[in-house]
Amino acid sequence: MPKKYSIEVIPAASRAKPIGKYRIGRAAEDCISCGRCVNACVYGVHARREEDPRHLAEPLDQHCKGCFRCIQECPRNALTIQYSDEYLRLGDSYWTPEIIATTWYQAETGKVPVSGAGYGGPFSGPGFDAMWTDMSEIVRPTRDGIHGREYISTAVDIGRKLSALTFDARGSITSTIPTTLTIPLPIILNTLPFGRSERVLDALARAASHLDTLMLVDLEEWLRRAPDAHLVPFISREEQRLPHDLLQGCPMIELEYHSAVPEIVKAVKRESPETIISVRLPCGERVRERIDAVVSGGAEVIHLHADLNGQEARSVSGNPYHLKDVIRAVHSQLVDLKVRDEMTLVVSGGIALAEHVAKAILCGADIAAIDLPLLIALECHDCKDDRTGLSCSTSLEDLDVPWGAQRIINLLAAWRNQLLEVLGAMGLREVRRLRGEVGRAIFAEELQREGFEPLFAQGVM
Amino acid sequence: MAGLAVSYAPSRFPNELTEVEVKRDTSRCISCGSCAAVCPFGVHERRAGFNRISKPASARCIGASCEEMAFYCVNHCPRKALSLVESPQYRTLGDRRWTRDLILGTWKQAETGIPLKGRRYEIGDSGGGFDCIFFHFPKEGTEARSGRAGEPISTELELNRRTGPQVSIKVPFYGGGMSFGSVSLTVMLARAKAAKACGTFTCTGEGGYPDALKEYDAHMITQVATGLFGVSEETIQRVKIVELKYAQGAKPGLGGHLLGDKVTPEVARMREAVPGNNLFSPFPFHSVYSIEDHEKQIDWIREINPDALVSVKVSTARDVDMVAVGSYYAGAQIIHLDGSYGGTGAAPEIAKKNIAMPIEYAIPKVHEFLKAEGIRDKMTVIASGGIRTVHDAAKAIALGADGVVIGTTELVALGCVRCNSCESSRGCPRGIATTDPELSKLVEVDWGAQRLINLYAAWQQELVEILSRLGMRGIEELVGRYECLRYAGQSPAKGTEVRI
Repeated sequence: MPKKYSIEVIPAASRAKPIGKYRIGRAAEDCISCGRCVNACVYGVHARREEDPRHLAEPLDQHCKGCFRCIQECPRNALTIQYSDEYLRLGDSYWTPEIIATTWYQAETGKVPVSGAGYGGPFSGPGFDAMWTDMSEIVRPTRDGIHGREYISTAVDIGRKLSALTFDARGSITSTIPTTLTIPLPIILNTLPFGRSERVLDALARAASHLDTLMLVDLEEWLRRAPDAHLVPFISREEQRLPHDLLQGCPMIELEYHSAVPEIVKAVKRESPETIISVRLPCGERVRERIDAVVSGGAEVIHLHADLNGQEARSVSGNPYHLKDVIRAVHSQLVDLKVRDEMTLVVSGGIALAEHVAKAILCGADIAAIDLPLLIALECHDCKDDRTGLSCSTSLEDLDVPWGAQRIINLLAAWRNQLLEVLGAMGLREVRRLRGEVGRAIFAEELQREGFEPLFAQGVM
Repeated sequence: MAGLAVSYAPSRFPNELTEVEVKRDTSRCISCGSCAAVCPFGVHERRAGFNRISKPASARCIGASCEEMAFYCVNHCPRKALSLVESPQYRTLGDRRWTRDLILGTWKQAETGIPLKGRRYEIGDSGGGFDCIFFHFPKEGTEARSGRAGEPISTELELNRRTGPQVSIKVPFYGGGMSFGSVSLTVMLARAKAAKACGTFTCTGEGGYPDALKEYDAHMITQVATGLFGVSEETIQRVKIVELKYAQGAKPGLGGHLLGDKVTPEVARMREAVPGNNLFSPFPFHSVYSIEDHEKQIDWIREINPDALVSVKVSTARDVDMVAVGSYYAGAQIIHLDGSYGGTGAAPEIAKKNIAMPIEYAIPKVHEFLKAEGIRDKMTVIASGGIRTVHDAAKAIALGADGVVIGTTELVALGCVRCNSCESSRGCPRGIATTDPELSKLVEVDWGAQRLINLYAAWQQELVEILSRLGMRGIEELVGRYECLRYAGQSPAKGTEVRI
């Protein structure tokens, strides 16, 4: 039994003033300062003014949970509740205010978000929202992972795993066993889309090392840093001249896909046969053909990356595929090529919540590489100002490195625990078994096809 | 259901939330009282002895439909000081599944006992499932619709189709499990009282069986769930139906959650636990890993109480149809399917949204599988997990269920706004899902029971009308009648074949 992995959570309070979901308005001309709202609110939104208790203070609406009680109890009907503009402005239609707020909560507390009342969102949706994960009851065992009553492993391997060993006449192994890296959770830190300031990268590197996972960094940054086995240099297509001498002892590198990649792979393997090579491929045009090339070229890892919203970057058809569907296709392709266990599939782009990690793995990925959630954990608002040249309003570049690292650690602790919930409900004892297990996934289009279409054969209204 | 005593039960708060707000521009108003003189609903009041007219009581306003009326205050105001605007509260209320109209509509029905008409009170905005399924009624005057017009319509449902005691309910729905701890004793009592008045059942959930419910024993279901909190031989012997809870739709594959904040000394005593500690029930029953084990568990219940029906509550896994057949052979009378969008007092958000399938898909799957096995007429299929309105209930029955279980809807009738804060601190700020001694005083048993009776009465009346429009005379005729339904949603993208 390998050592049990767990992530220690230490609360890391937010630096900025919290952004509440609601805004409570008090009409001064109607309020008679009776104080009934003070008694009614269980969250401390309403209070009397400290300096002059005859009047009520401005509502502390960041504490409001939207229960409407003060609104309904005010004898003068002087209170109103609305969604706060600040909240609604967070993120965009993919990185919704809910996603940003829940990421902040998890980075601060390290806790699995738990709430009352049933799910209130849409029935299903595009991308990852078009699938559900399965569970077991009565006829299949489950695992009680989350509360530590049963150990569920989240470790995954990177590198080539032989499908069979060969032996000589005397029974000794003749196969050369390739090196693999094992990381304790199926999540690695991706290169950042923006906000690559020194302190941010320091915080991420520190978190990666603490969590014992990997972090992809741009080559230039990698060269600048002290050697650390948790850092994986990412070499873009512009940087084709490899610093071969530096690769000695480097456990893994990642190359951006271009036509010369097979040559470079060969060159690296000559210099440093132990080094695991990942090739980063855009989730898009000619992906199948490129995967064939990568597989035959000798790399061990495919990093399939979509855009920040989990979609094919430059769609030819104008109707871009979602990462989830491309993962399924690539997984099947690798199975068909009979190399599924010889290749590791890393995916990134649009992985915004813990559920996306579980679903990406269920569709066939081995590992998810996350990017924007890391910045959000550090209190990024995804305001897009950086992309218009404005400076960061939350001053990411000034953060305290240990604090930042702890926020990332907390986020991943919460994500891992949520992954354990999903695995436990399915009765899986390790995340390796989840990979490509589509028989334990429920896809909306399949339910619709097999369930509803025969029932409603008489056509739609 | 003659004799269901509907009686007016208004909101317990002075300001009911409404769609419109009647606005008075006080800089224009001269307090002449014209509006007070015309409004028949008492929105405006010109009280004697006061200089100024009162603030409009918007909750009494009938809204935009008043524009056509001769007594429309806006038209009567000589100073043009009045206007009707959408209330900001209305914009903030509700979510995609429980829209603001569904919440306000359920409140209104619980207040008056009269069903509300109009699609916005029938469906939500989730974009799938029940929200995209509609009844297709035969045309008025046709044989299919009016052929049996004189015959009475029954909504009664027999819960046992096998040997053993007969237990029937007057309406094809009963209350879902809510434990003492997740909700207050007052709420449990109100639900039990309403169940008795309506000839149906309600369920204790997994948190013990308070003695105060003794007089309602004939209308109680007690739950035996994985934590076995508060379960004793005595509690199993008190009831006519025992529910074995294998899973819950909101958190399939996970045990019950009651966070420490809500484990008050009374709750802890009932559950034989320590106050202030999180109570996470294990998952699954660690003695049940096969249908044979499941049978042993049903036999165990039977041994203790041979007169009780056994209901098996499961969630909607991919193989839920096989579980249902297994439960039949293990001896259960009722298979209760709890869909993935069901209610909860506390559940991880990842589980609520992602694990197991929505109930709309599970019902026909189980219905067809039981039919193919030749045992459909021996098993009662109950559906829950996202039944918000009587229309959802009727659709679930047309998809293949015999009846439904409701939970969240009952809480909404008691004034829940679905703020998702049942789980922590002192619990529900509106006094429903809480055991805080002060907050639970916000609900009174009789008022709560009346709200539920009113809601049940409105549902029953509407259900009778649905059956009547379909030309049916009993709720059992609706079971599995897919041809009465039409699907109006978009099909998700066909296939996932990636051609790049």
